[in-house]
Amino acid sequence: MGTLEMIILIGAFVIFSLIAGLLFAIQQLQKSQESLKKIMKSFERLDEQAKLIVKTDLELNKAQEELDKRLNGLDALQKTSRRITTTLDENEIFQRLDQSLMMNLGFEKNLILIQDKYARLQPRINIGFYEKDIAVIISHIQKNEELLKNLQEGQTFSSGNISHQRKEFINQLFNADYFILSPILTKNGLIGIIFVGNSAYSSSLTEGDEEIISILANQIGQAIENARLFEEAFRASQILETKVKERTQQLAKALEDVQNISKSKSSFISAVSHELRTPLTSIKGYASILMTGKLGDVPEEVKKRLEKINMHSDNLVQFINNLLDISRIESGRVEMNMTKCNLSIMIESVHDLLTPQLKEKNIEWQAHIDPRIPEMLLDQHQVERIFINLVSNAIKFTPQGGTISINAQMNNNAVTIEVSDTGIGIPEKDLTRLFEEFYRVENEINQNVKGTGLGLSLVRKIVQAHKGKIWVTSQVNKGTTFHFTLPIQQ
Amino acid sequence: MSSQIGIGFSSHLDAEQAATEAILQAQIGLGSPNIDLIILLSTIHYDPQTVIQSIHQTIHCKKLIGCSTAGIILSESVQTRGIAILAMVSDDIHVGISSIENLDKINLEDAGKELARNILSDFGPHSRQIFLSFIDGQIADYSSLLKGLQGIFGNIFPIIGAGSSDDLRLEKTFQFYQNHTSRYSANGLILGGQINVGIGAGHGWRPLGKPRIITKTEKNIIKEIDGKKAALLYEQYFEDKALDLYSTGLNQMTILYPLGVYIEGNKEYLLRNAIQGLEDGSIICQGDVPSGAEVHIMIGNKESCRNAALEAAQEAKKNLFGKPAKLVIIIESMSRLKLLGRMAHQEIAIIKQIFGATTPLLGMYSNGEICPFESVDKFKKPLIQNESIVILAIG
Repeated sequence: MGTLEMIILIGAFVIFSLIAGLLFAIQQLQKSQESLKKIMKSFERLDEQAKLIVKTDLELNKAQEELDKRLNGLDALQKTSRRITTTLDENEIFQRLDQSLMMNLGFEKNLILIQDKYARLQPRINIGFYEKDIAVIISHIQKNEELLKNLQEGQTFSSGNISHQRKEFINQLFNADYFILSPILTKNGLIGIIFVGNSAYSSSLTEGDEEIISILANQIGQAIENARLFEEAFRASQILETKVKERTQQLAKALEDVQNISKSKSSFISAVSHELRTPLTSIKGYASILMTGKLGDVPEEVKKRLEKINMHSDNLVQFINNLLDISRIESGRVEMNMTKCNLSIMIESVHDLLTPQLKEKNIEWQAHIDPRIPEMLLDQHQVERIFINLVSNAIKFTPQGGTISINAQMNNNAVTIEVSDTGIGIPEKDLTRLFEEFYRVENEINQNVKGTGLGLSLVRKIVQAHKGKIWVTSQVNKGTTFHFTLPIQQ
Repeated sequence: MSSQIGIGFSSHLDAEQAATEAILQAQIGLGSPNIDLIILLSTIHYDPQTVIQSIHQTIHCKKLIGCSTAGIILSESVQTRGIAILAMVSDDIHVGISSIENLDKINLEDAGKELARNILSDFGPHSRQIFLSFIDGQIADYSSLLKGLQGIFGNIFPIIGAGSSDDLRLEKTFQFYQNHTSRYSANGLILGGQINVGIGAGHGWRPLGKPRIITKTEKNIIKEIDGKKAALLYEQYFEDKALDLYSTGLNQMTILYPLGVYIEGNKEYLLRNAIQGLEDGSIICQGDVPSGAEVHIMIGNKESCRNAALEAAQEAKKNLFGKPAKLVIIIESMSRLKLLGRMAHQEIAIIKQIFGATTPLLGMYSNGEICPFESVDKFKKPLIQNESIVILAIG
């Protein structure tokens, strides 16, 4: 092979190699371009996904912001409510409506106007308004009858739910783009308004803002109503208290007078009784001496008169003794001589004592004594007088063939004793006065039988001296029961 | 040689009352009638002039700086209304302060240089450790100001800064300096002396979607991305909501989804809030944006925020080299407050766990942050950030 041929062969090889290399490079470039296209497509897809992410993120952020605002609002509402509902002082309500707390509701402007006693709106909370602006706001609101009517009806206005015209009016009046205007109502109607608002730069209203402000307005209304009711009640109670005080003083004075009179009466009775008893003893003594005949024979007619003198003297002594006893017990001069007594035996002895009178009227005697009753600390003599008085009265007012019964029952720390008869009974009108001194029920028997009107009074005094109680129940023509209690003091 | 620190806070509605309560509380914590330095933070609900007058009527203090904020970070809570005061008296911490005003009218780089010179003059010949600045949040171009500061301090000197904030409207921001208040101003303080300083920062935002290239910029204005008008990026992702970009004031969209610029060698993406969209489709950012850089829409969530806070706190603590923290100052983007909402205090609880429950802690929610940014060259060069948490621990 010649040199030329070699050169041609090498040249052909080089050209072939170059062509092959070029073809390979073109192929690689095409591949790279395809890869780049794929990468670019991937980027585009990535960008589309990024747009989706941004959109979602924006929504999430907005939701988060609204949620934060709502939580802050609810937190502020809860704190505000707790503060204002725990006071009954109207001024304190607004002191407690801490302004920084109001700010947490999420509005840069807050205004609460409340009517004074002349029904003029007065600012009670003001954040973000000049005083001169408030005067203008009040003037415009009070002139706008339609707005006042709507507020009176409980309508809340928010920038999102009202007519353009009204929105413009409120917007210009309060200088706020986003706002809520809510009435503060009580059962007597509109007493004020609450306004909250933000400018266009701040956050707009979120769902639920209107409800939060309405709730707050309601709570302020309730708190004010409670405070005003309390104020009225407090004033009324003060007037009442003054009246009660005056009346109590009058009654205390009257009681003191009565006590003084009673004391004077007791002293008088005591003195008079003593003074009467001495000459009466002499009268009775001389009458007895005369009756014995030691001073000479006494004619039968004189003797009869002397016996009457003797009998009436005894009655008078008995009367005076009762009076003295009452007087002593009342004045506390008689001390009960407390000894251990067996109630059953005591009742039996009273029965023995009065058996002749019972038999005379053929009255049946019944006694039911609770066997659980222990020995009691009593003034035996005085308690016997209770039974004698009550049973004697029962005999007096029970017709022939009637029944008198005594029941004694243990009740906790006391014994309740009932003395019942089947007598004529006592009219209801007399029951309350029965234990008064010198009071006698007007009936046929009392008109014919003498009495002092002191027996039941004395009985009550004795029961009370034993720290017991006495009362009476009765039905006309059926009978009467005297109930009394005696504490068990062992 | 000792330092005492007292922190006071009040949310009283009346400015005078709130300021008085806060300063008295801080003074009680301080345990001293003399105060060397006050850092004053106030939400915009108070008249700043009344606040500062009330403080000066109540106590005598040598140096005072501060600014408005969207919220105050306290040891136990996060407050969106109130006045907080950090009062300090110290034998071993040296302080220098200064302020510069009319930033809307003068060259910002020159302003930064002047501010730095004045502060150094006030500070004196001590060893300086950290510069802390409060810059009006309404200033769009932090980068020029930072460039001026770095021109004097040196470009790796630790600088942290906070843009004063309000309620996201960017209308009412203000600064406190000594006995007066101002807008469109910046103030700052240098701390130095026998102290250790630990700084940690992070944001936790992550890139979303396909990468794009910033093809045309002019300082802090992004003109084109992928050869198209820059605003198209937001329009593609947010459709009708992107119209917010053209309104004044920050809106939810731009502070929750900032632009993330990938800088070769940096550990984290550089975040830029789109402050405003221009009619030609350009986007104004708070700091410079490099042309040719890769950019993403960024997204964050509560967990990533909390993790970033934890890492920042750990980093700040690590930089104290074993010295316990006497004070922790937190500068945190208000976008994080917006994102975390009611859970904002959880982030603070994490930081407290790192430094201990009794360490005094005060912080603010800012509009724009400056902090040293870790890069592959091992130097931490201060940069403008958004959506970040910056933790300064002084030991």
